[in-house]
Amino acid sequence: MNPNVLRALKAPLVTLVAVVVIGVSLQYYIDFALTKAKRDLAQQQRNLRNARAQLQKARDDNAIIARYLNRYQNLQQIGLIGDEQRINWLDALRFANQEGRLFGVSYQIGTQQPYPYADELDPGQLTLHQSAMKVTLRLLHEGDLIPFLGTLAEQRVGVFSVDQCTMERIDTGGSARNRFNVRADCELAWITLRPPAAAGDRKS
Amino acid sequence: MNSPALPRLKFSFGRSDTGDKLLVSVSARQVSAARWLNGRVAGGDIFTYSDEGLSAFKSYLAATGRQLPVHMIVDAVEEDYRFESLPHSVGSDRSGMLNRKLKQHYRNTPYCSAQLRGRDSGKRRDDRYLFCALTNPELIAAWVRAVIERELPMAGIYLLPTVSEALVERLQLKQANLLLVSITSSGLRLTFFRDAELRVSRLVRIDSSGPPAIKSYAEEISNTRLYLHALRVMTLDEQLSVLIVDSDDTLPELADAIARDNPNIECRRLARAEIVARLGIAAPALDTSADALYLHLLGSRAPDSNLAPAEATFGYRMHGARLGIYALAGVTAFAIAAWCAFTWYQIIDTNVNLESDIEAAAAQVAQLQAQYLETARQFPAAPASAENLQRAVEIAQKINVSKRSPETMMTILGRALDQHPDIRLKSFGWKYGRTDIGQQDPGKSAKTKSGPGPAGGARQQSGLVGGEVRPFRGDYRAANESITRFAAALSVQPEVAEVRVIKVPLNVSPSLTLSGNTANSSVLAGKADFELLLVLKPTT
Repeated sequence: MNPNVLRALKAPLVTLVAVVVIGVSLQYYIDFALTKAKRDLAQQQRNLRNARAQLQKARDDNAIIARYLNRYQNLQQIGLIGDEQRINWLDALRFANQEGRLFGVSYQIGTQQPYPYADELDPGQLTLHQSAMKVTLRLLHEGDLIPFLGTLAEQRVGVFSVDQCTMERIDTGGSARNRFNVRADCELAWITLRPPAAAGDRKS
Repeated sequence: MNSPALPRLKFSFGRSDTGDKLLVSVSARQVSAARWLNGRVAGGDIFTYSDEGLSAFKSYLAATGRQLPVHMIVDAVEEDYRFESLPHSVGSDRSGMLNRKLKQHYRNTPYCSAQLRGRDSGKRRDDRYLFCALTNPELIAAWVRAVIERELPMAGIYLLPTVSEALVERLQLKQANLLLVSITSSGLRLTFFRDAELRVSRLVRIDSSGPPAIKSYAEEISNTRLYLHALRVMTLDEQLSVLIVDSDDTLPELADAIARDNPNIECRRLARAEIVARLGIAAPALDTSADALYLHLLGSRAPDSNLAPAEATFGYRMHGARLGIYALAGVTAFAIAAWCAFTWYQIIDTNVNLESDIEAAAAQVAQLQAQYLETARQFPAAPASAENLQRAVEIAQKINVSKRSPETMMTILGRALDQHPDIRLKSFGWKYGRTDIGQQDPGKSAKTKSGPGPAGGARQQSGLVGGEVRPFRGDYRAANESITRFAAALSVQPEVAEVRVIKVPLNVSPSLTLSGNTANSSVLAGKADFELLLVLKPTT
């Protein structure tokens, strides 16, 4: 720009620049203040929502505990929840053998493994395990197998599922009431359920 | 003039300036000055055209105080008007052409201008221009310099006849040939208008004292008629209208004399009272000088024909630019203030809401937390969280629902065996898994892994039935038919999804070696063993 023109317009240009600078600064400050006010308001509303949600959750939790606590404790008692009760399982096997008048039950319990069908049960924070128990039975008749399994379940010493059974007729030259005629091999899965570690489990 | 070298644009279409200004009329005899305040001429001063007058004029400018833009009229004999048609052009082409023409016509003066006055009616439709100039720049040089030295913005310099165009326009004079006659400080000014458009003007210096002056005026008007004829502006046969502008009511006899001596001249006198009434000039202002009427017309509206060179109007343009920038700054400040006020209102509104919300929310939060503590106190002692409590119970229910036993398949098998006494069961296998019996279950293979097995399809019950056909006397066809019937009896059961014969007593496949004995003896015939795969439909 021509120096003479610049000199002639210096004062108004300085005024214009000052107005723009002051205006922009003012606007920036006010905008900042408005943003802060809105942010504070949003924060307060968020706090309120959180408090309401917390209370609602406490009420819901209370209702859930009241509804499920007895059944949960019952599951603890029967051995589904918590550690395995292998001695109880063996006692139940002996009882079922005696009750069914079988010719002895041999068993083999494997190491505890993750339950392979846990994905069907949506366990969340809970972990599911199983211990495979292979039992060999000598039966008078193949019809004795189902009552044996029923008696074992009725003992309520744990929860098991029958995964596999094979029965084979043992040819003894004719059936006799005091001799076994069928050999049965079954594979049972004793299932246990474990809640997460105590720390962080009981959220309140 | 020590003005910067700005582009010298001598062509303008006019600009109206209705703000306060300083009006100056310069003639060879005297200089008149008046202020234009609030749309009216306010006061007036007269300075002699001399060094003393110039000094007084400088003092007058110094006393002005404000940065008023200066508009100057020049009433001089040394003036020139010429009409010329030029090829139609626009923009920079037009500016360049006009500047070249101005330099060509008026080489010795910077005070010249050109105005577009319409288009020719001919085929080329050329542009018609009025070129005018003050041919003696020295006449006003000292006075212009005085203005610039005082740093007053010089807005424009105009020839007096161009200013009188506003008079014709204001009075709405429609005569085709009009001669405007007035007495100015320089003498008798005769300006001819053709169709209300300035064509030519004369200034005649006549001693205006006494009755002989009237006679001289009348003679000059008659001479002007001849002059116009000589210039071929109009013929003697044409009707000429004369308007005598008599601002001090001293020329009533002139009108009579013209009417008497020139029968083909229509003469009319514009008396002082009519001037005051129709042109809006105050009577005292009209009395200040002989040029007061033209100062008033210039103040009302500046004509297009500004003679001032760019160097002279530099200050005025800067003055306008300053005002524009200040106006822009004002508008900007107002807009920012309005925006800030609106935003501030939002902040106040938000803060009001915020404060009320904070109070309400804080009270609600406190109340909710108290309720929460009360509710938490009512919690029974639970071994796990509510979520895990519920989930554990639901998992136990699902396990119970999903459990299966061989009982269903044994019942189905029993019903089929009752219908087929020739079939004897030798072995029975049952499996509940994602694969059929005899195949490795992917869930089982995952046992060695640390986590649960991979998700697969739904579990189903499958069984492997081993049996034989009895009695069997070597009739494989009959044995096969018995096995087929037995398989069919199984497959019609509603719970059965599939029955497949895996092993038959005699495999007749061409890919295998086949041997035996055809003797009709059950001892020699061997056994008719078979195996069936039985798959049940999944149940929920």
